[in-house]
Amino acid sequence: MTDRRGERRLVDARLHLLSRQVLDPDGEPVGAVDDLALAGPDGGEVEAGREAHVDAILVGPVLATRLFGGRVPDSRLPRIAWDDVGHVGTAVELTVPSDRLDAVWVERWVRDRLIARIPGGRHDPEAGA
Amino acid sequence: MNVGDLLDARVLGPDGAPLGVVVDVRLSLEVVDEAEGGPGAGEDREEAEHDAPLSAQARRDAVGGARLVGLLVGPRGAGSFHGYERTGIRSPWPIPQLVRRRHRGTFLVRWEDVAAVETGTAVGDDGARRVRLARGYTQLPAELPSASG
Amino acid sequence: MKKLLAAALGILTAVGGFVDIGDLVTNAVVGSRFGMSLAWVVVLGVVGIVLFASMAGRVAAVSGRATFEIVRERLGPRAAGANLLASFAINLLTLTAEVGGIALALHLASSVEPRLWIPVAALAVWLVLWRVKFQVMENVAGLMGLLLVGFAIALFQLGPDWGELLRQAVPPSPPGAEHPASYWYYAVALFGAAMTPYEVFFFSSGAVEERWTAKDLGTNRVNVLLGFPLGGLLSLSIAACAAVVLLPAGIEVSSLSQVVLPVAQAGGVLLLAVVILGIVAATFGAALETALSSGYTLAQYLGWSWGKFRRPARAARFHLTMIVALLLAVGILMTSVDPVAVTEMSVVFSAVALPLTYVPILVVANDPEYMGEHVNGRVVNALGTVYLVIVVVAAVAAIPLMIATGAGS
Repeated sequence: MTDRRGERRLVDARLHLLSRQVLDPDGEPVGAVDDLALAGPDGGEVEAGREAHVDAILVGPVLATRLFGGRVPDSRLPRIAWDDVGHVGTAVELTVPSDRLDAVWVERWVRDRLIARIPGGRHDPEAGA
Repeated sequence: MNVGDLLDARVLGPDGAPLGVVVDVRLSLEVVDEAEGGPGAGEDREEAEHDAPLSAQARRDAVGGARLVGLLVGPRGAGSFHGYERTGIRSPWPIPQLVRRRHRGTFLVRWEDVAAVETGTAVGDDGARRVRLARGYTQLPAELPSASG
Repeated sequence: MKKLLAAALGILTAVGGFVDIGDLVTNAVVGSRFGMSLAWVVVLGVVGIVLFASMAGRVAAVSGRATFEIVRERLGPRAAGANLLASFAINLLTLTAEVGGIALALHLASSVEPRLWIPVAALAVWLVLWRVKFQVMENVAGLMGLLLVGFAIALFQLGPDWGELLRQAVPPSPPGAEHPASYWYYAVALFGAAMTPYEVFFFSSGAVEERWTAKDLGTNRVNVLLGFPLGGLLSLSIAACAAVVLLPAGIEVSSLSQVVLPVAQAGGVLLLAVVILGIVAATFGAALETALSSGYTLAQYLGWSWGKFRRPARAARFHLTMIVALLLAVGILMTSVDPVAVTEMSVVFSAVALPLTYVPILVVANDPEYMGEHVNGRVVNALGTVYLVIVVVAAVAAIPLMIATGAGS
């Protein structure tokens, strides 16, 4: 592999990042990128014309507002810090295991309340009947 | 501020002339060199290449920071289908050709050339965000460098 | 030797899995009213599904993204949301038709009313999705679906006038009694029956889940290239049986018993039993794939964890979606709606839904960012563009034709 250190790759947010799959290090889906949170230097407010960078990925329930308009208050959005992003390809791959992310609580809820209650829910179908 | 707040905002020139709509936000990703392979790379390259999943060959870069480079301004909102006006893809005919025609005139503006991002508060405004460009802004070509670059 | 067996298994499973309730009913209806004059549509549909499935499989294998993830990524949230609603609804319609088909076939075999079989069929489908090793079930259903070759056997035993059948097919000569609008309506229906969207969702999701290697891609290409056309031959023999027995007698196909009438006439009770078993297997396999597709579409659009190889606890919302879809299908069927009518609607709407997934796949198959060096070659692209036109024309014409002909009556 050639040394690519210091290279920069130009991407367009809508084209390459928004709506892309977010995967944890094991390849498990975490959600889809709904928005990207921007921040100024040192994580402060973004000012027009001043340096800005991507601070976090927003995953999850923002979909409703994307479809119908309006804004969800920042405190309710599941955020994944951009520092936790390892790779960007056809999907956004994280370096943090999904169990530690807030974005996964709905899946966990459905699992614990419903699926795990049905006999055989935790059984691995590939392990033989 | 989120990227979603910038998308579809109306873009006005330094004197208030409407220039278009923000169709996309361009970012510059820092590519980090990988000493060891991630989930895709195998140790024994020769053998692994035959048995490795095809998706392991897909382009994926280890990334560091993502800097906001600029805004793409186009004639229509909601972004173009597949961004054809910014890439050199020519097939399947006739889709790229139609999309390019529809979105002709899309240009890139550097973030440094953005004077203000405002939410409309005047009477009659629908509360949509507006982006005002600074004096002396330049219209840069919208093309993305090709993937193999 | 083992490799040959594995390859044969793959091809045979594709053949047996090709025919579902949509193909059974539509081909029989077409044969009974138009003879073999719509045979060209089956050929067109088979080439189309071979092209579409192999493209979707390649895209999924190389990019690691399944069909509905691609729809979500390429269309943006609003358009993809509309796409999801339409695809999910039509998929649900097809699932309802398949579960209804299982019940109808079981009713033919026993004399127990279909309504009583419906919950049993749905429960059986769910149990397999929940517990059984999927590959086993798919192979069993696929191989048993091969029993539908009974239609071909019946056709030979009926000793038809082959020249007459050929004359009806080439050039297409519909019987004078039928209106051209009905002819084209059934052309669209037959096309939708051959190019069912769930096949593509299922195929591409499998490619991602199983992390296909280059070898896997090659194997699946062969399966599709050989299996689907042979499956198309099965479809044609269903139509031909109807053309030989039902058309001259003016018998209309309104239930499954007319579909299998030629078989009973040709081969007696034994052949009939074989064919009914084949129908149960084929519709059961299709119900499995369609139920999974309902899970795949929703989970992939919303970015959830999904997969038939994952234990249910690791893909909880995916499994919940499939349970809800099956319950909805049962609910619809228990209103005593005619499953054959549902089937006829589902194939026409499948044709309407085709561009929704075909266009994003065709577009991404040409994108080096997703495909690297595996982008479409020129021949595939030429064929792809031809089918783009066909698929869009069929989708646009479907509803107006449906209204103009009163759904074919």
